[in-house]
Amino acid sequence: MTNAQEYVWEGAIPLHIHLHESEVTTLPPPPPALVLAPRIGYLPLLISIVKPHFSSTLPPGVDTIWFEYKGLPLKWNIPTGVLFDLLCVEPQRPWNLIVHFRGYPSNILLPCEGEDGVKWSFINSLKEAAYIINGNCKNIMNMSQTDQTELWRSVLNNNLEAYRRVSSKLKLGTFEDEFVAFIDSNSTKSQQSAGETDVAAQMKTGELFTTTVFLLGRIPVRLYVWTVSEDFDDLEHAPSIDSWDKVSYINRPVEIQKEEGKYFSLKDAIKSLLPEFFPESNLTNARDASSNQSAAERGENSCDPASSRTPLENAEIKLVRIQGIKPKLEIPFSWVVNNLMNPEHFLHICVCLKVSEARTVQ
Amino acid sequence: MASESPSSVRKVVVHLRATGDAPILKQAKFKIPGTDKFAKVIDFLRRQLHRETLFVYVNSAFSPNPDEAVIDLYNNIASLICVCLVAFLVIQNFGIDGKLVVNYACSMAWG
Repeated sequence: MTNAQEYVWEGAIPLHIHLHESEVTTLPPPPPALVLAPRIGYLPLLISIVKPHFSSTLPPGVDTIWFEYKGLPLKWNIPTGVLFDLLCVEPQRPWNLIVHFRGYPSNILLPCEGEDGVKWSFINSLKEAAYIINGNCKNIMNMSQTDQTELWRSVLNNNLEAYRRVSSKLKLGTFEDEFVAFIDSNSTKSQQSAGETDVAAQMKTGELFTTTVFLLGRIPVRLYVWTVSEDFDDLEHAPSIDSWDKVSYINRPVEIQKEEGKYFSLKDAIKSLLPEFFPESNLTNARDASSNQSAAERGENSCDPASSRTPLENAEIKLVRIQGIKPKLEIPFSWVVNNLMNPEHFLHICVCLKVSEARTVQ
Repeated sequence: MASESPSSVRKVVVHLRATGDAPILKQAKFKIPGTDKFAKVIDFLRRQLHRETLFVYVNSAFSPNPDEAVIDLYNNIASLICVCLVAFLVIQNFGIDGKLVVNYACSMAWG
């Protein structure tokens, strides 16, 4: 257990929750609710606190609760900490949100059935992560009901100790320190990390397994990218995100690539996730394109971003935020994964790119 | 990505296959741009099956977020995709030849 992980689990955002004026039926209007929202939690989990606060002032009708920030409905399936990192570029504390009990924007948000819906979404993300890491999610499918409940409760209660007790059974592992993994992949077959499966897979496909590059594992990443064309000097002047269309939601695994004498940094990881912007570091995608497609498909889809697009020389990583911090891009990616991932085993990274042309990500 | 010309967008073939007592779809295969969100696949199934509520599973296992790009899902699992609905659907993808094979059935299989 590392300190950084404890900080992540203890992390919380003070929220100032106001009832939307169209739903206020009392005079004076109800005071805002002050809530401390765990970073690793989800907004609908706050309903049990927020609803009693406003229930006496609501108009009659059926409640479907949702939250909004500066006119943007907040996606409940994204962890609260990630929403804050992405949308509140200049961190505001408390974070002023608006709550609605009517008029659910079902064209923008997924339907949510309270805590059960959030749990469903969490478990499915966990399964997806397991699939990326191990190539299957048997360990999660075979989890006992008791363990599944305990795992979910550990997230609800921010109980890292309980979480580790249950999640260790899932054999998703933490990713080994690069140095150790490097030694192991050279010497023994006893390695139990996710790295092993992937190295083996690489050997099977017979691609990119050279003496200089080792792939140590597939890391599930959810990347939230927004682009700016104008530079900004401080975060206060950063343009705000007023539509989800401005955020590119990318789910690509990072394959940790080890070159002799070099470690794989956060910057390497981000560049490998964004071949559209950083074509020179497109090892991973070159492999995907060739191994996942039949020759026929490939002929039609000469769409490997590295070959089909004009390199965008002027893309620049303007801002990276993970779990509320702006990590240095030079830190080893394996440290980031082991310490800053969310409990569903996804690493959520918010990235702002500055591109010089008037090109934006949709 | 906004910058791509249509010809450079990688396509994924989705193959729908009935399982159990679900109705067989006339159009069992379709090709969609990889940049499309998975929600498009769900919408297609909804329209075809006239079911409003549906659960979608990938590889008889997990239910992807509808916001995810089809190509990301395809690359992430790179082997099998299944989809289920309320009534129920399973997609299986044999990733080697670039197809998503979809099975659908009328009872819920995976939690």
